[in-house]
Amino acid sequence: MRADEVTDCHVLVIGSGGAGVRAAIEASQYGETVLISKTIVGKGGCTTMAEGGYNAVLRDVDTCGGHLEDTMKGGAFLNDPQLADILAREAPLRMGDLVKWGAVFDFTDTDEVAQRPFGGQRFPRTCYAGDRTGHEMMMTLVDRPSFVMEHAKNVTVLQEYTVIDLLKDGDSVIGALALDEKGNIVVMKADSTVLATGGGTRVYDISTNSSSGTGDGYAMGYRTGAELIDMEMVQFHPTGAIIPYDARGRLVTEAVRGEGGVLKNVYGERFMKTYDPARMELSTRDVVARAIAAEIQKGRGTKNGGVYLDVTHLSREQIETRLPVMLEQFLKFGVDIRTTPMEVAPTAHHIMGGLRITPECRTTLPGLFACGEVSGGVHGANRLGGNALAETQVFGKRAGEAAGKAPVRKKSVDERQVDACRKRLNAFLSGSTNPAQVRTKLQLAMWEGAGIFRTAVALEETLHTIRHLQTMNLKAASAQNLAECCIVQNMCLTASLICRSALLRTESRGAHVRTDVAKTHEPENSPFGHTFVSLTREGIETKEVKA
Amino acid sequence: MKELTVTIRRFDPETDKEPRYVTYRVKVNDGARVLNVLHAIHDSIDPTLSYRYSCASGQCGSCAVRVNGEPVLACMEEAKDNMKIEPLNLDVKKDLVTDLVPRLEQIASLIPKTETVMPKKADIDAMKPLKDCIECLCCVSVCPAVDVTKFVGPTAMRQQMRLVLDPRDSGDRISDAVRDGLFTCTTCQACWKVCPKEIQTPAKAIEKLRAHANRRGFTLPRHKEVAAMVQETGRSIPRTSESFLEKVPDVIEPDGPVKATVGLFIGCVYNLRQQQSALDAMEVLKRNGIRVIIPKEQVCCGSPLIRTGQLGYIDELKRRNIETFTSRKIDTVLTMCAGCGSTLKHDYETPFTVIDINELLTKYGIEPPAKLPIKATYHDPCHLMRGQGVKDEPRQLIRQVVDLVEMPAICCGSGGGVRSGMPDEAAALGKKRGEEIKKTGAEIVITSCPFCEFHIAGHTDKPVKNIMTVLLEGYREKDRKNAEN
Repeated sequence: MRADEVTDCHVLVIGSGGAGVRAAIEASQYGETVLISKTIVGKGGCTTMAEGGYNAVLRDVDTCGGHLEDTMKGGAFLNDPQLADILAREAPLRMGDLVKWGAVFDFTDTDEVAQRPFGGQRFPRTCYAGDRTGHEMMMTLVDRPSFVMEHAKNVTVLQEYTVIDLLKDGDSVIGALALDEKGNIVVMKADSTVLATGGGTRVYDISTNSSSGTGDGYAMGYRTGAELIDMEMVQFHPTGAIIPYDARGRLVTEAVRGEGGVLKNVYGERFMKTYDPARMELSTRDVVARAIAAEIQKGRGTKNGGVYLDVTHLSREQIETRLPVMLEQFLKFGVDIRTTPMEVAPTAHHIMGGLRITPECRTTLPGLFACGEVSGGVHGANRLGGNALAETQVFGKRAGEAAGKAPVRKKSVDERQVDACRKRLNAFLSGSTNPAQVRTKLQLAMWEGAGIFRTAVALEETLHTIRHLQTMNLKAASAQNLAECCIVQNMCLTASLICRSALLRTESRGAHVRTDVAKTHEPENSPFGHTFVSLTREGIETKEVKA
Repeated sequence: MKELTVTIRRFDPETDKEPRYVTYRVKVNDGARVLNVLHAIHDSIDPTLSYRYSCASGQCGSCAVRVNGEPVLACMEEAKDNMKIEPLNLDVKKDLVTDLVPRLEQIASLIPKTETVMPKKADIDAMKPLKDCIECLCCVSVCPAVDVTKFVGPTAMRQQMRLVLDPRDSGDRISDAVRDGLFTCTTCQACWKVCPKEIQTPAKAIEKLRAHANRRGFTLPRHKEVAAMVQETGRSIPRTSESFLEKVPDVIEPDGPVKATVGLFIGCVYNLRQQQSALDAMEVLKRNGIRVIIPKEQVCCGSPLIRTGQLGYIDELKRRNIETFTSRKIDTVLTMCAGCGSTLKHDYETPFTVIDINELLTKYGIEPPAKLPIKATYHDPCHLMRGQGVKDEPRQLIRQVVDLVEMPAICCGSGGGVRSGMPDEAAALGKKRGEEIKKTGAEIVITSCPFCEFHIAGHTDKPVKNIMTVLLEGYREKDRKNAEN
């Protein structure tokens, strides 16, 4: 490892998905901003993979109050009402930014942004660009070469750098430590640091997430002392691909059901009628995922271990124009969805929990902001499809603005922290365990013990496995493999936070189902609030319940 | 599970002088993609193998590599036994990781107008086909013009066209496109044939941008001269000697029974410059039962104008050519020029079928010629192989008459108006073709396009022959041998 490179800026944004880039665009109006990305900006993260859409109230007949209510109900009333309200009110404004900057969303015949129905919503309010909505947003945001236009001079982009820890000066965050692609340490000082690292469902064996969905932000935030809420709330998307084996978990967008796709078990029955006869396939994701898992458990699944998702009754033209990516992906694997039903099963998709934030995206640590999937509270116990893309823009802007407006500070780097980091990295170079093996064991354990249906016994067992994996001496085969070791450790830590929080919540609510706890209340009457975990405390908030 | 043997090009600039090829045996699941093979090697054999990926579902464009020479997305391409995996033909950072960022930075961005403008549905629908790009840069990696000029590459042109169509944009896209090498594209079609999203950049962006450039007065002087000549004479090259059409009768009857009757569309170059190749073709057709009707009032197909964005006179050419054949009730039109064939097939809406001479002869079968003791290589004309999908047919014919040694299928530099408008680039590409020909050790070069034939001849010391000429030589040798016996 060569001598540390030190850079200093006003705002450091970590992560280059929709939230990170939006935060950087905003922050750059206030001062020198560095956007640091584990991948190539525009290619990494999950925003670019998001297919279905972006929820925003755009029509007179729809209301922000309606969007808020749908979001709260979908979230089993665990959402932070203030954050959910902000989401509903500001999603249309941020949609306006995207359209102004050149996004090519689908339009109606009357030249308005088109909207499609998504699960759990009273109004078709999901805007889309075919089934490549997130990709369209990223292409718009990463407006190369100067993705912030007049403020371009204020932004430096560091691509394929991996942030491995946050830097602290006393209680306050003053930047981060990163590795460049050769494995050299880079010290980044910043007046404000924005975590926009996305989610972490790669800790599960079956997941929709990109390579960067490894929970680094949760882990780094936790290690630095930030408080996280509701980490047990992991959304299992109802429809992931199941064959071939290596494609398991790949997202089959909710837009398939939004466009009219139906779910059938191996006997051809539209089984949603027994689980949610009113909303059927467009029920919320937690309900649909559980229904599919239950059908499979009861032996009514296909021989490949899934159920059918069928669009063969739709016109070819509708499939080709509204679901082109789905058509292309399945064709590549030998299935023509125009003539053959897809086979699907649930897949780990989104972590609703995350760093506790204020409406300005301040975390519990001074100097540290969070936005997007790494933050918690907006979606409660279950996220509505289409609310994540909206969240990236609404809270990305808020985080960037608050971080940008924060004062310039004197920051002194604690050499002991840098030394500790160097020691940690050196240990990897003389380690003994292949990190890939640890990752695989973790993913299988999490799928087995912290999946859709949970019990205290299984969660304890999983936690035990994770703690064992955390003791492994990971081996970096070269300096370029150091980042991988750090990431696997982050995955273990994130997984442990999920299990600990799942143990803390002794109720079934939204995506979190404890089969070992008897049902005593409906979500709206729950005596429980957020679970919380940090270095210094953990627990579950309780509240007075109206009799 | 199954076991595969794969070879990967490894290169670490810190330790290697040259790339090296390493072979691995690796266990993967049934249905595994190339990416899963890379994962398996990284996770269980050699963790230092570097490759890039992110979404693993064909949406981010991070993982493009070459498999057996062809650019593909590693996450979508099914893994095959004995495959060779190499980085894209771009600057390599390490192993399979290429330096994408400098190329990505050349892709233009929208500059919003000061007043807010909303697009209409019609604008959105026009832009959408150009918006599927995932910027994997497969297209850039195969572009011959990028190799020898400062051309920013196909996807950057795609983006310029997308911005031209966007009422929200305030940039001067046409000037920028011309500056960035709009006229260096040979329209070889390599870019869109490797595009995972099948975006037809040459037709949907390059030629459209050139049409805009034409209206703005950017058309190259040499291209304007060609257009003026077509308008004046109906032909894109001057008459310097008796033309093919003047030499031949209106109908050529075959020697034996008639297998098929076709109308011949000859094209300017065979008509006025490479007449002998065309005359040789007539001999071959005659011998193989093809009755050929040759209407004399046919004119230039318009390709040199369409490829260079000069569309003003095109409808007139199309009308005249279509009428020429329909008035004679011809239902199949034969082309032997790759460019004319591709133009008639894609830029025209013809009431008749258009068929290339290689397709025709393999369809009806040919009398076997004598095998000549010659080692030959074949140059795939872009507008035949990629433009018309005719790749195997010429090889089937060639193998009957000579030994064939393959070489990589790369543009010779004569297409898209580049030979006339960008002679230095055409020469640079021709030179590269000459080098490839030399590597094969072939004694002659065979092709099936008059542009390629003429251009390559200037860049190799080997004789360049039309496929029909070589077949005819085979027949002559056969006749000679028969006469001896």
